[in-house]
Amino acid sequence: MDLLGILKRVELFEGLRPDQLEAVGRICRERRYASGELVTGQGDPAEELFIVCEGFVEIVLDSASETGAPRTVVSLGPGQIVGEMGLVDYGPRSANVRATSDITVVQVIQRKDFEDLCERDNQLGYFVMRNMAADLSFKLRRTNYAER
Amino acid sequence: MAAIYKVSYVVTGEDHPGAILNVDHMPEVGEKVELGRRRFVVVEVFELVPPRGEFHFLHATLAADDE
Repeated sequence: MDLLGILKRVELFEGLRPDQLEAVGRICRERRYASGELVTGQGDPAEELFIVCEGFVEIVLDSASETGAPRTVVSLGPGQIVGEMGLVDYGPRSANVRATSDITVVQVIQRKDFEDLCERDNQLGYFVMRNMAADLSFKLRRTNYAER
Repeated sequence: MAAIYKVSYVVTGEDHPGAILNVDHMPEVGEKVELGRRRFVVVEVFELVPPRGEFHFLHATLAADDE
């Protein structure tokens, strides 16, 4: 599947016109990871947004104690975004993100490119920010149901 | 464009993190699902929030597949 076909299947870009999707595609850069490779580490500066296109990544929290084991909180597969929290609140990475598939392909968007695009095209910025809020809400609802 | 189902999979009865992923069909109760190297069975599916555009938002509960 080509990049536009992939981006169309990502909720973050729901509602965008084809020319807006093409603009997003121009700021995406592909990265590939092997199983076990770290995509980003807890506490790292958050300057990138990741879109999982193929394979899975797991979100892993370090233990608060030195002797405790890390805890995997969720796996994210195709179509999911990672790193959106740091992109909007400028905080450090809140968790480790590790590839778990033999071939894990992600598209990476730099914060500066993302912000520039949203400022140039306010309608695109509105849709993407709305969808990002909806994605965060989805993850929060999931957590609430999982803890029933 | 065909419907896209964004599914939150949660595993009951064991300490498994579950997953979120997009799939091209709505999961059904009794369906087998593979997460990583494990196989599960769907025991519950419901709509988490209303659809938006082509996207449907579902929550599916999984249990270990004993078969």
